Amino acid sequence: MYVFDERIGRRRFLKVAGAAAAGAGLAGCARSPSDGRAAASAAEAVQWGREAGKWVPSCCNMCGGQSGILVHVVNGTVDKIEPNHWNPNNYANISSDFFDGYTEEYGCKEGGAICPRGNAGIMQLYDPDRLKRPLKRTNPDRTPGADPRWQEMSWEGALGEIAGKLRALRDAGEAHKLLWMSEDHSFTHIQTDFCNLFGTPNYAVHSNLCDVARKASLKCVVGDERPLADFGQSRYILLFGWNPTAAIKWAYLPRILTRAMEKGARLVVVDPYLSDTAAKAHEWVPIRPATDGALALAMGHIIIRDRLYDQEFVRDWTVGFEEYAAYVEDKTPAWAEEITTVPAKTIERLAREVATTKPACIDVWSGPGHHTNGVQGGRAIAALAALVGGYDRPGTLILPDKKGDKHIEVEPDAAAGKTLEHPRFDELDRYPLGHKSGVYCQMFANLAEGKGPYQPRMLVCVFQNPMMSVPGTASVAKALSKLETVVVIDTMMSETAMMADYVLPGTVYLERYDLNSHWVTWPALGLRQPVVQPIFGQLAEYETITALGRRLDLREKSGKPFFHVGPLSGQPVEDLTAWYEEYLSQELKEGAPKITLAELKALPGAVWVDRKGTQYEKYASPVPEDKLATAWFNGDPQAEGTTIYDKPKDQHGKQIGTVIRGKPLRGFFTPSGKVEIVSRWLAEKKDAQGHTINPLPIYTPREWQPSPDYPLYLVNWKEASHTHTRTQNNAWLLDLKPDNPVIIHPDTAARLGISDGDQVWVESPYGKVKARAKLSRRMHPEVVGLQHGFGHTALGRQANGRGTSDAQLRPTKADPLSGQSLNKECCVRVHRA
Amino acid sequence: MNERPDTLEMQEPPARPARELTRRRLVEHLVTIGAGALAAAMGAGAAVAQEREGRLPGAHTAASTGRKYRYGMVIDTRRCVGCKACVVACKAENRTPPGVAYTVVLDEALENRPNDKPLFMTKPCFHCEYPPCVDVCPVAATTKRSQDGIVVVDYDRCIGCRYCITACPYGSRYFDFGENYPAVAWPTPYSQVPSLEYGQFRVREEGRSPIGNVRKCTFCIHLQDQNGAYDRASGRWPACAKTCTGHAIFFGNFNDPESEVSRLLRQRQAIRLKEELGTNPNVYYLL
Repeated sequence: MYVFDERIGRRRFLKVAGAAAAGAGLAGCARSPSDGRAAASAAEAVQWGREAGKWVPSCCNMCGGQSGILVHVVNGTVDKIEPNHWNPNNYANISSDFFDGYTEEYGCKEGGAICPRGNAGIMQLYDPDRLKRPLKRTNPDRTPGADPRWQEMSWEGALGEIAGKLRALRDAGEAHKLLWMSEDHSFTHIQTDFCNLFGTPNYAVHSNLCDVARKASLKCVVGDERPLADFGQSRYILLFGWNPTAAIKWAYLPRILTRAMEKGARLVVVDPYLSDTAAKAHEWVPIRPATDGALALAMGHIIIRDRLYDQEFVRDWTVGFEEYAAYVEDKTPAWAEEITTVPAKTIERLAREVATTKPACIDVWSGPGHHTNGVQGGRAIAALAALVGGYDRPGTLILPDKKGDKHIEVEPDAAAGKTLEHPRFDELDRYPLGHKSGVYCQMFANLAEGKGPYQPRMLVCVFQNPMMSVPGTASVAKALSKLETVVVIDTMMSETAMMADYVLPGTVYLERYDLNSHWVTWPALGLRQPVVQPIFGQLAEYETITALGRRLDLREKSGKPFFHVGPLSGQPVEDLTAWYEEYLSQELKEGAPKITLAELKALPGAVWVDRKGTQYEKYASPVPEDKLATAWFNGDPQAEGTTIYDKPKDQHGKQIGTVIRGKPLRGFFTPSGKVEIVSRWLAEKKDAQGHTINPLPIYTPREWQPSPDYPLYLVNWKEASHTHTRTQNNAWLLDLKPDNPVIIHPDTAARLGISDGDQVWVESPYGKVKARAKLSRRMHPEVVGLQHGFGHTALGRQANGRGTSDAQLRPTKADPLSGQSLNKECCVRVHRA
Repeated sequence: MNERPDTLEMQEPPARPARELTRRRLVEHLVTIGAGALAAAMGAGAAVAQEREGRLPGAHTAASTGRKYRYGMVIDTRRCVGCKACVVACKAENRTPPGVAYTVVLDEALENRPNDKPLFMTKPCFHCEYPPCVDVCPVAATTKRSQDGIVVVDYDRCIGCRYCITACPYGSRYFDFGENYPAVAWPTPYSQVPSLEYGQFRVREEGRSPIGNVRKCTFCIHLQDQNGAYDRASGRWPACAKTCTGHAIFFGNFNDPESEVSRLLRQRQAIRLKEELGTNPNVYYLL
């Protein structure tokens, strides 16, 4: 029982209160809850409170970061979410940092952390606006804003009708005319299997809205799509358009960055906007959008001119240095100042600092990436990192040793095999540095304009909201209206769901399973598990897919009815959840953990962590003997530069090394086995527009430049308070950030006659949106900016009508090299409304 | 197929959500519960006044107070990234309604910093040694605990006059107007979860405390054990400090010279806000 004050004492206080109330003869005292509550509290402490109920370890999915969580469930209700101390994703991306002081009882030394969104999962789970039952559209008019005239359906009825539409496609030999899109971290394997067995090559996921430009740049230069910054051990951190302390993807980011600065690292952030990360930095370098590559080249110019580069690393581990040096010879600071607006003197100083402070970590994310010159700019930044030896050494960009569950590929039957031979509708093949996540922009543009290799008939859209997230809302709407059937699976009535024919309620991450190979630098895998049963009795998405697969009787080449037979036991499994649990067990058994799902659940924090930890300078290590014994060489095994694969290349062999200085070394997974400052193989390719590609990381201005009609750049960004376009109905998060004013520099605003708080129009050739102006010197004077994610017309009663959507202002267009959506390539005019 | 039955029906919103506390209803509320509390306060007032007399020596430093515990925080502004995880964790732990936040993060631009660069700083209640809020309370509903210095509000005594809100120089107190977040306003399973605050397990209900009361940070007092101690290892630790992404919030007992917070004050330069007022806050900031 709670005692207000030991000296006064609860009992005495109550006695006095009772006597006084009796004396005054007030009946009101009986309504005072104190007496009853005090007596009951001991009993309630058993029923509620930290010791009551259970704490279930799981993984977050409020964003794509998948950090570990501990979820408190009492009487079947989630009442608190806390960090999971056993999951490295919440603490450190380097194993020595994580294991220092780690105990099985408590996990990492100081305890993990979770961000505001992770804490706000409760509001997502119990949002009254959630979709509860399957819905069917009865209004054929699919223009945005039209009332869909929803009709509620039973699950049985909805699955039956959707399966009927799918069956009709497949029976007509048109399985490839099904488009399927989903989030990129949740149950992607089972969706891949479904698409393969059904026979459509058109499975695409979110990544191409996010960081495939960065992936393309780094894949070219170091042969790895996602090196991870080891801030913690760095002395100098130079970030181009990355905002890790606010766009917190992995909960460890704020800790490792602030800890680095505490230990003496200098943080410099290059960005048109003084982001929340730049607010923590020693120095903010305001830059004109999409010119980061020019800045990097000028820094390279100085580093080479003054011979400040890491000569040993450049000699032993890079190719193309001479060519690059010749190219940057005239890329002087004065040249870059013209382009970037960064003073030449600043460029000189930054170049000297970053080259002479070791170790230096140079990284880039989606700021420079979302423009038509984003991949080349990213390559220029990656090349700069190579000059200072900034790869796979402590305090630099580490090539992660990411291992986890193994996706076992299915073999489709003959019918599916036939339709799988059709090209992808999003023309991914035309993008020389395209990512397996596909090209949303090309897909929607093709649909809207009636182009592409064929006309798709059906779309299944799982937890994606292209009406808000893909640039060019009008053409996305037009595209959706051209499809015969649109099925949306989501937890909320998104703007895309409003365009659908069928809407199936999905699950919040607290209601379902997933395996998460974590983005730390050594193998770790965390479990997401249902901490409560789906609260409306709905199927989890993987169960919906399995139920559809069963109705369609999808079979493997061997004739095995894939969705009926337990993947581990080989026996029929009726229960949908039990079948998926077996599916996950098989992925774990055949993957790195080699344990079952039940065993993973029993591990501390339900996370498997490989004790061998982070390895550095992996590129210099020999290919292990056992792997070498079964390896396949792409040429003479003795010849310099021969690539080594784990199995023949035409059998989906993966690069495991290269012959370097006569030895089979891991090297970098590039054609040369080294860091490619120049990627010669690019010269043989054409981009999606048919242009040749320069093998040097050249600077060219992006396509869309300001004009007298549209004189201002428009950029967007993310903050810790919201994820993409999906958390704007979360009441707790709206408390942190209720809307997104358009940020304008006061000098720019003065010129336009705009005052703080004015309603303004932000206008591009593609659309016109209203916003509230906020004046701040945090913005480059040539630029205005909107935090991405607001401006909903649906989603829920809290989200609807708040803030401004930036997607309407851009064309539905992808970067011609990587297929990255161009979320920041936009010019606007701004005037008072 | 093995379809699950609907396990839960979230009901449609009540015709009139139980959110607005009108002036009339507030007065009614005060008459019904306040009168009893007022009467009670008259009786207990003497004891509280006595406690106030016993202000402890040495309070101007973080040295021992002679109390069993002297709880406080040290917040490292260099580590705070302004993510506001603390704000949401606090909301979940204490189930505060809209308009009530026991901790907030300041992120406004400071005039003397270039480029409107914000300084991030989380700001809970400072649990002052000389809390101005306590002095102005007409019913002694808000007190500074003799055993650990935590400033608390007795919801059963608070009449909602809000003098304390005016008196607090740090803006750390909030009035509960009875608003609710949608997940609480609409009957969901979550709306039936009681608040752990003060270990009183109150289910939020129209016309009942803490609606109509003044509310504030308690250092998550309900997580103390029977002896008044916190235990970090078992999660019995203030919610904001547990979730902080930059690990910027340190909590502990200033009476223990070996506690983390005591050590930080010895090692680092700390400031407190509005020192000139003599409130002697128990929350320090490292710059």
